[in-house]
Amino acid sequence: MARYGMLIDTTKCIGCFTCRTACQRQNGLLDDEAFIRFETRESGKYPNVHVETVPLQCMHCDDAPCAQVCPTGAAHMGEDGIVQVDQDRCIGCLYCMAACPYQVRVRNSKTGSVDKCRFCTVSAYTSGTKMCTCVEACLTGARTFGDLDDPDSEISKKIAETGAAPIAPGLSKPKIYYVR
Amino acid sequence: MSFTPIWGVPIALYLFLAGLGGGAFVTAYCLRRTAPGQAESTRRFAHYAAFIVVCIGLAMLMLDAKAGFFHPQRFFLLLTNFGSWMTWGVVFLVLFTLADFIVCILDLTKHKTPEWLEVFGVIFGLLVAVYTGALLATPHAFPLWNSAALPILFLVSAMSTGAALVIGFAAIKRPEEFKAMEWVSDAHYWLPIAELVLVFFLMWVTYHNGEAGANSVLVLMVGQYALAFWLGFIIIGLVLPLIIESVGRFGKKESRGMTACADVCVIIGGYLLRWLIIVAALPVTLVVPAMF
Amino acid sequence: MRRMNVRVLWRSDEDDEIFTIERKTAMSEKALTRRSFLAGSAGAVALAGAAGFMGFGAWEQAHADSRSTAKTVTTAHSLCGGCSSKCGYTAYVSDGKLIKQLGDEGHPYSRGKLCARGYGYANIAYSEDRLTDPLKRNAQGKFEKIDWDTAISEISDKVKSIISSSGAKALALVHDPRPSGKYYGPRFMQALGSANVYTHGAACYLSRTSGFKQVVGGGWTSDVAHSKMTMFIGRSYADGVRPSQVADIEAAHANGADLVIVDPRLNSTALFATEWVPIKPGTDLALVLGMSNELVRNGRYDADFVAANVEGFEDWKKAIAPYTAEWAEDVCGVPADKIASLAARMAAAAPACSIEPSWRAAFGCQYANSGETARAIAVFNSLLGVWNQEGGALFLPSVKAGALDQGKFPNPPAVSEKAYGLSDLPLASESSALSVAEGARTGDIKGVFFYNSNMVAGYQNPTYLGECFDKLDLCVVIDVLMSETAQHADYVLPECSYLERFELPEFVSASTPVVSLRDQVLDVIHPNTKPVDEIFTLLANACGVGKYFDFTVEELADAQLRTVGLTLDGLRASGTQSFPEKAFVYGTTPKFGTSDGKVHFTSDACAKAGYPAAPIWTAPVADGGSDELRLIGGKQAIHCHNQSVDVAALMNITKDYGLERVWLSSEDAAARGISDGDTVHISNAQSDGTVKVHVTERLAPGCVWMPSHYGCAVPEQKNAYKVGLRQMDFVPFRIEPGYGGACTQEAFVKVEKVG
Repeated sequence: MARYGMLIDTTKCIGCFTCRTACQRQNGLLDDEAFIRFETRESGKYPNVHVETVPLQCMHCDDAPCAQVCPTGAAHMGEDGIVQVDQDRCIGCLYCMAACPYQVRVRNSKTGSVDKCRFCTVSAYTSGTKMCTCVEACLTGARTFGDLDDPDSEISKKIAETGAAPIAPGLSKPKIYYVR
Repeated sequence: MSFTPIWGVPIALYLFLAGLGGGAFVTAYCLRRTAPGQAESTRRFAHYAAFIVVCIGLAMLMLDAKAGFFHPQRFFLLLTNFGSWMTWGVVFLVLFTLADFIVCILDLTKHKTPEWLEVFGVIFGLLVAVYTGALLATPHAFPLWNSAALPILFLVSAMSTGAALVIGFAAIKRPEEFKAMEWVSDAHYWLPIAELVLVFFLMWVTYHNGEAGANSVLVLMVGQYALAFWLGFIIIGLVLPLIIESVGRFGKKESRGMTACADVCVIIGGYLLRWLIIVAALPVTLVVPAMF
Repeated sequence: MRRMNVRVLWRSDEDDEIFTIERKTAMSEKALTRRSFLAGSAGAVALAGAAGFMGFGAWEQAHADSRSTAKTVTTAHSLCGGCSSKCGYTAYVSDGKLIKQLGDEGHPYSRGKLCARGYGYANIAYSEDRLTDPLKRNAQGKFEKIDWDTAISEISDKVKSIISSSGAKALALVHDPRPSGKYYGPRFMQALGSANVYTHGAACYLSRTSGFKQVVGGGWTSDVAHSKMTMFIGRSYADGVRPSQVADIEAAHANGADLVIVDPRLNSTALFATEWVPIKPGTDLALVLGMSNELVRNGRYDADFVAANVEGFEDWKKAIAPYTAEWAEDVCGVPADKIASLAARMAAAAPACSIEPSWRAAFGCQYANSGETARAIAVFNSLLGVWNQEGGALFLPSVKAGALDQGKFPNPPAVSEKAYGLSDLPLASESSALSVAEGARTGDIKGVFFYNSNMVAGYQNPTYLGECFDKLDLCVVIDVLMSETAQHADYVLPECSYLERFELPEFVSASTPVVSLRDQVLDVIHPNTKPVDEIFTLLANACGVGKYFDFTVEELADAQLRTVGLTLDGLRASGTQSFPEKAFVYGTTPKFGTSDGKVHFTSDACAKAGYPAAPIWTAPVADGGSDELRLIGGKQAIHCHNQSVDVAALMNITKDYGLERVWLSSEDAAARGISDGDTVHISNAQSDGTVKVHVTERLAPGCVWMPSHYGCAVPEQKNAYKVGLRQMDFVPFRIEPGYGGACTQEAFVKVEKVG
């Protein structure tokens, strides 16, 4: 069985927000509902300065803290390792948002339900987008999507080559790996 | 991107009122044991008040859970995941409210409540109070919450505010019963001291729990929420009641008016504690900010 | 635990419509699990899914037929409206809702991708702030709705009255060219007998294009992807995004190219740069002179190319002799050894190198020396013989529509006069819109049409421009949203958004030139809005020149395409068609677009216009006091000037990340007691305002950087109103002599902490 994950190479991320707006379009999100957020880091002293932009979105943790705390079972682990939110079960208690170490869950301001990156599984069904839109849309090819359990997949090879790692140690078992 | 607190006033009120209700019910049972038959109308008040505040708290929760508010049938799904403190909280709250409701009916119909029923209510009242802290303490994302001290702190605060509500009522409305409540008053006197110790223990532990922990503590103690923390919670909510009660106790000038004042302060402090803990918590830092 | 068979994973926000992911009908055979929707709901689909992720394309294909809940999806090839690049993309529409956009692979600018604006700006179609009806300013100065017939007839009466009293030369058009607009607007003016057609160029590329024209006859495209070294002066591919350029610079970086960013600000392209060369704003000319001097002094220029192609080399050589690297260091702040190193590296990389031409960036229109900077840059590239060399600077081919049947599409008589003000700007490659403001002020211009142009907010000092246009007898603004310019209009005509209109074919210059089409994607949303072709046709009919507009836009498009061997139906089907027979070939020395086909290191025209014959040092004119900082601006990848700021999908990004903040160097901030996140007061003699500040190591001391999108002063733009400050408010009205540029960075401000 596939265990889908993503690799984000921040050495290629120009912080242009294309993944955010592409995701909003292809997933039919509200204008104020963004599944991808960004943290930036500036280091060094003028004129020797280094800038890093880190896109963050649902990490589809194997031990999903959101699913652990969700009282209604709306947040749950799908069988391809894709964490999903059943919009018709969510009561909007936001407990999952408190449990998520990555602050990547958002409340839909119209329905009140909580939502987040779905690795485009839903838009793949409703409008036939590729998995994943952010990967397809990235202008610099900073993102790779694929099966982490397949040692021959592009993502597995890249993780091995680059030594990509989760964004921060010890928080959960995420399936997004970062090259930094 | 700056972090916006996940919850605000409604959930702070919910956690506070749930604890307050539990605390009031437990206080009523303490009166049954320590002043049997001498504070019956105060005890009835405690049962009614507990029911009302817990219901208001639940209403706050349901209003805040917008998706559930729009689709109330979804609240039945709350009993799905017994790995979640939220689910257990619902169980505790329902059983506590149910017990309290029956006690209230018995009170209203002038029947004596069987002790087992009250003990049942006490157990779930205590669990409700613990749950309000455990709910926050379980997730790892917020160092200020993620501490075993938090459920204990919230339990102590719940008992303190519950007792304050009951004692305050008696002090104003039932002076003759107030006199018989010495044991409860004594216990109530020491609770703010325990709370002070717990709060500073929590601050100390959190401060040393990573950058987000340190920042959360700084935000509370010297930052954005410093006024609410020091003046509202520490001074008004804890120190002032202690001083008032101490003056009464050791100066032998106990006045019911002063006691009622102290009780109001405790209740204000109890709410501020929940609110401050909710809004001041910062999530763990993922991308280390600028280092020069 | 198996849950209910139908799970709603997504709920449409618009209409509460439910897309069920698993179908009940499929449940009978075997219990479908959540996973199974990845594998699809039909047998064929499940097979494709079972093949693993690589089979997903096949799954998508198979699924297109088996989708049970999705409604009819229509697709159209169209052109993005998020900026002037007009990238080709395919729009997918369901139930009037734009559900998907995919960049078209065949379009040379998109190459299969769109940028953040491409997705976000499309929401303009659904904006609540849209203009929905024609507006007329009433006696109280307020706008009131009127019907189209009244609007057109009143406007045409005024046009006729202006023509009869002052002649057609008192009418002008200012537009930001778009595929249909650049045909219909100028044609309307020509039909009326006026040559007064102006673009946004004065506030964008006029100085640069004019300077290039003097030396090599026009602008070029740097072959960044194949270059060994490219220098970017102010231009940032990652901030003013065209997807193909971002892909090119990423590829160049991956190939190990030496990519140098010359900019007072460490812009977002820095990620791919080998070096950031911070420079004192307005002194790029000094750097280029210093580098040129180095090449000559060390004999490291392409002597063969110069001998064969260059006019005026010896005079130029004498003229630039004083401008050594050491001299340049004093002026621009870049160390002399750095300048020498840059020149040597360029020489070593030649001819696979160039200075990138940019658009607005640092010398498109910003300073009184921008035109001369452009000249010096064209000279520098010529010294290295990079023209049309692989990795160098290319003059790419383009295709144009041929002559049309004059029976059906008769051309209006040519107008012999030049555009108003152009004769005062002998070096300008086109008329400068600032001349229109001057003409309005003096009374020479009495009526102006603005199409898709927010000149008042974006070109120069808004207060001054507004005062000029308030003197007009007739001011007509055609736009999608209320704008600062429309605030000064007598009539505002609502256009439908770019998604709701069909436009004329757009011919794009590229290594293989193409023609592409903006097809209509959405039905017209507000019934009282009209596409630009209809608006100008209505105006022309009412003004008595309808005979030049007696055709539909689609008839015109088809006729244009037939002149290049294509048809409208064919282009509609593909979106983009290329002309491989016209493809660019490396290695040929171009025929330069100058009068004699040579490269001109000295220019008589410049000498006549009051500049030195050879481009030598000319200083920017504005100078600040010791406590003042030069105000510089720039783009962010999520906005296009001020046209996109009201679109919530984009403005929410600004608000989420505080992108409206001005940038201040840590040195200047420390000297003023300012910390990151403080609110600061920015002021000069002309304007003032408060805004939050971002204190950074990414900015050279001596300037303050203000993103140039913000400070919207139009209450009807509810998302954008009063967010941030407007750079142009601080810019004194000035026209670059000879060239006509807007001198948008000839301004200094004080920055003080508030509170």
